[in-house]
Amino acid sequence: MSIRGQIIGRIGFVYAFVVIFALAILGAILNIQYGQANRWLEHEKNNFRERTITPTRGDVRARDGRLLASSVPEYQIRMDLVSEALDPKIFNEKIDSLAQGLSSIFGDKSGKVYKDDLLAARYRKERYYLIQRDVTHMQLKELEKLPIFRLGQYKGGFIVISKSNRKKPFNQLASRTIGYSFPDDDASGVGLEAAYDSILSGVPGKRMEQRIVGNYWKPISDEATRDPVNGMDLISTIDINIQDVAHSALLRTLSSHEARHGTAILMEVKTGEILAVSNLQRTDNGSYYETFNFAVGEKTEPGSTFKLPVLMAAMEDGYIDINDSIDTEDGIIKFYDHTIRDSRRGGYGKITVQQVLEYSSNVGMAKIVSKYYKGKEKDFVEKLYSMHLNEKTGICIPGEPAPYIKYPGDKYWSGISLPQMAYGYEVQMTPLQILMFYNAVANGGTMVAPRLVKGIQNHGKYIKRFDPVVVDKRIASPSTIKMARLMLEGVVENGTARNLANLNFKIAGKTGTCQIANKKYGYKYKAKVSYQASFVGYFPAENPRYSCIVVVNEPSNSQYYGNAVAGPVFREIADKVYATRHEMHTPLDQVRADISDLIPYSFSGNRGDLNYLLNEFNIPIDDQSTGTPWVVTTRANSDIVFQNRILRREIVPNVTGMGLRDALSILENAGLKVTFSGYGIVSNQSLSANQVYQKGQNIHLTLSNNF
Amino acid sequence: MRRRINIYRDIDWVTVLLYFILVIMGWLNIYAAVYNEEHNSIIDLSMKYGKQMLWIAASILLIVTIMLIDSRFYAFFAYPTYLFVIFLLLVVLLFGTEVNASRSWIVIGGFRLQPGEFAKFATALALARFLSAENMKIHKFKNLLSIAVIIFLPAALILLQNDTGSALVYASLLIVLYREGLSVSVLLIGFFAAILFIMALTLPVLYVLLFIVFVSCVLLLLLFEAKKDVLKGIFFFLITVGVLYLINLISLDRSFMWVLIASVVTSSFVLTIRALIHKIPILFLIIAITIGAFAYTFSVDYLFDNVLVAHQRSRINHLLGIESDPLGAGYNVNQSKIAIGSGGFSGKGFLQGTQTKYDFVPEQSTDFIFCTVGEEWGFMGTTVVLLLFLMLLIRLIVLAERQRSGFSRIYGYAVVSILFFHLAVNVGMTIGLAPVIGIPLPFFSYGGSSLWAFTALLFVFLRIDASRRELLR
Repeated sequence: MSIRGQIIGRIGFVYAFVVIFALAILGAILNIQYGQANRWLEHEKNNFRERTITPTRGDVRARDGRLLASSVPEYQIRMDLVSEALDPKIFNEKIDSLAQGLSSIFGDKSGKVYKDDLLAARYRKERYYLIQRDVTHMQLKELEKLPIFRLGQYKGGFIVISKSNRKKPFNQLASRTIGYSFPDDDASGVGLEAAYDSILSGVPGKRMEQRIVGNYWKPISDEATRDPVNGMDLISTIDINIQDVAHSALLRTLSSHEARHGTAILMEVKTGEILAVSNLQRTDNGSYYETFNFAVGEKTEPGSTFKLPVLMAAMEDGYIDINDSIDTEDGIIKFYDHTIRDSRRGGYGKITVQQVLEYSSNVGMAKIVSKYYKGKEKDFVEKLYSMHLNEKTGICIPGEPAPYIKYPGDKYWSGISLPQMAYGYEVQMTPLQILMFYNAVANGGTMVAPRLVKGIQNHGKYIKRFDPVVVDKRIASPSTIKMARLMLEGVVENGTARNLANLNFKIAGKTGTCQIANKKYGYKYKAKVSYQASFVGYFPAENPRYSCIVVVNEPSNSQYYGNAVAGPVFREIADKVYATRHEMHTPLDQVRADISDLIPYSFSGNRGDLNYLLNEFNIPIDDQSTGTPWVVTTRANSDIVFQNRILRREIVPNVTGMGLRDALSILENAGLKVTFSGYGIVSNQSLSANQVYQKGQNIHLTLSNNF
Repeated sequence: MRRRINIYRDIDWVTVLLYFILVIMGWLNIYAAVYNEEHNSIIDLSMKYGKQMLWIAASILLIVTIMLIDSRFYAFFAYPTYLFVIFLLLVVLLFGTEVNASRSWIVIGGFRLQPGEFAKFATALALARFLSAENMKIHKFKNLLSIAVIIFLPAALILLQNDTGSALVYASLLIVLYREGLSVSVLLIGFFAAILFIMALTLPVLYVLLFIVFVSCVLLLLLFEAKKDVLKGIFFFLITVGVLYLINLISLDRSFMWVLIASVVTSSFVLTIRALIHKIPILFLIIAITIGAFAYTFSVDYLFDNVLVAHQRSRINHLLGIESDPLGAGYNVNQSKIAIGSGGFSGKGFLQGTQTKYDFVPEQSTDFIFCTVGEEWGFMGTTVVLLLFLMLLIRLIVLAERQRSGFSRIYGYAVVSILFFHLAVNVGMTIGLAPVIGIPLPFFSYGGSSLWAFTALLFVFLRIDASRRELLR
């Protein structure tokens, strides 16, 4: 080959080389941008995400603003042990002090163990190693100061995941009514949390984020960015003090009667606001918890409490008067093959209509109804319907069933339906529905719907207030209402609820004792009749302010009468309400006891509270304390002596002699888990004072009134 | 006799135009890549795009200066320039500042210079000067050695600065040597070495050794005239393998690799004696190649495990498909592919690229600037850029071939080689065809040193080209 040819060949080769290489690159790019474009576009999408920013959920508050349910932030701490920017030199140098720091913050493992765990996780190349769950904000602040962690997520591998935890500061108190909701599921949940979920949960924000080097996400500003709107606060009608009383009174009664479950509701007559609603159910271990909202959700045959509307229906129709005489004979009457008996053996003989209710005579009721409504059953039921007994209360929380009041011609309507309905069988109502009716009677015939929510607040300002909802201005004529109230007062004065009679204020109401139909077994279950005891009424009788119902299901002891089982709970709630409502008091001129020479017992407790209280009553104080917030009190001859009660960290405080609320406050602030039994003041604590404890340890308080 | 020349008339305006198109496109893409809404003026001097504008302005000054200097200056001062750059490379090695794990910067006050960029230019000059000498015989051993020194001295110094990418650029000067008549066999040996290198890293050593034996046999068959003897030789080799295999099986307990190596040594020994008796030099060569290849294979393994730094190893591993770690070494390439791939056919539009913003693709204004082109201008954009570069390269080959002096032709080819290598490897690495070795895309990538070095490289050639008629031969 000639030199020239060789050179031309080489030049040609260089040209070809350059061109072919360029074409190859072009081909590769064509492949990436055209052939695989979808694949890379898909990849690109994976580099973006729309992050939902959860707003802070609003609080549920008591009527005085105290927190019933609130969201508390909690954190989860994780670590990326092989973060690209985590300098191995720094890691190896600082790992000891980091481990030591973790150990001293959490105190669950030694520094050595923490170090070994971290090194092992680093060896496994863990990028999301869990260090601790349920970390508080305070702990987080300390963690952020630790070596390595203080370098942040990228250089220190420090990953913080925050989540919010719903807490109920008053634990069991009204907890079922406060309820809960699941953040991701609108349809589920119970109580106020579920009913007002949309208001409490707020509006989530949105933010675009983009993946950056090292698999981290970086927020990017975008028109689509939307800040979250935090949820608003719900101000409920619950009065936490009265709720406390209702809860403990009901709990005590249920415990002592070993009842299956029970409920107590207190309602303000004029407005329908529910001040307390307690639902307790016995669990397998014998303790009682708020597990189901019986007040709203359980309809049962009301029994004798239904006699009032029946009599009112007959009065409205002009058939009877309060003084009409009814012959209850010997307390036994037969309808077809069904025998109706009065609770008193031998019967009441000839009594007035008023006495029928006072003594709760089943025979009397059956006779009245069958006498006037036989053949006019429809009129009777229509009359009951006209008093809204077949309507739901419309309470906001989910789960309320409609009352069941038979209508003639119904599938289950029988010959004995009419007399049965007369004393509260073959109908079904929830406790709240019955209470609404009695409340209307107390309210002079104006029926208001029960309410659990006063209003909605945002940043402490009312956005919306809920007004009383009047269902019916007049459910019955004034004369009927007047007679009804007279009869209800009579029940307490002369009738079945004499045990509730009271010097200070008058209670009016009706007892109810009925056999419970068990769904499976009828009225008898395990060869035993199950009972439901109830008491519904209002106080003060002359000028009703509050109505209240107490229902106790299956008291298993021999006692099952409404007055004996449910009555005392009613009484206790009423006493407490009366005691705290000065405007209800009539001046007691005649009882001006001289207490100057009587120094009362006083709880140990909060110094400020005691000072205020004792000053109000002009009781002299001998303050020997040094100004500590908590004091021990002792009764001296002429005054009450305050002494220091010093609380030290990690040492169990002495709470004996204190009221439960103060003791709870001190112990729970100290990080102990408190359970208690009995009532009164703390007489014994399971962890003795001045011993060292661990956070989260259980302590049981025994309360008693023996002081 | 010298002819007066008019630079304005004689300069190659096609190349100048291509240069300015590429530089301006580069500037716009840097603007897009590091676009910041708070500094949205393209001439904002606090941002990279503003600075790049300054570098471009300074480049124009540099071009004017180059044009004003007599063309003979460059040939005359080729060696001094080369020596000065070598001196700078030594200085940077001793006193340089480390950026991105490479000690390749000289910092004087607020001014940073990367001598490695200028070393290419100087080496091209020196190589052209050496090869264009009177009566140059490229295959003389002494000359080959000198050429190797000229090329590999700066490469070695740059390698020591931990800038592997820039060092590899010098390998592209093989194109120049090829054009100037370097034997194909030398290039083939180089090619063979490259293949062995990759095989040594990806395959078990035994397979590589078998491959070498196979190649040796093929070479024997191709180069040796007495085919019968070759078959005898191969037969003898196989017998040796068999016998040694049996011996190993019975008494020794070594691996098959040991058997193979022992067989090769035994066969080589016998064949060498035969070659000595019959005086067959080609047999020596083949034996030398075989044994050399064996030694090379082992040394590559050793070098890879003991000399290369971890990040270089993992990048090569990733490219060869040994390691797959989308967030590690392959992360950059993956992101870069996502950026280019998401551009599709027509791209997302100027400043609309989402991948290249937010520091997604690393080094998006320097080594990975091509991603921005791919993402915002799509396939059309990348094609245009590649075609512009291709036009430039072909134009430069045309210019080189029209030179009358050896010096200017060789220098022209050196410019083509260096630009070609940068283009191929830079674009190749953004689309996953080449390892990520961090060399800039000429005229596009952000950076004063690289822009000036490429400008000087190109325009010195244009200056020489403009004067091609001065010399009458």
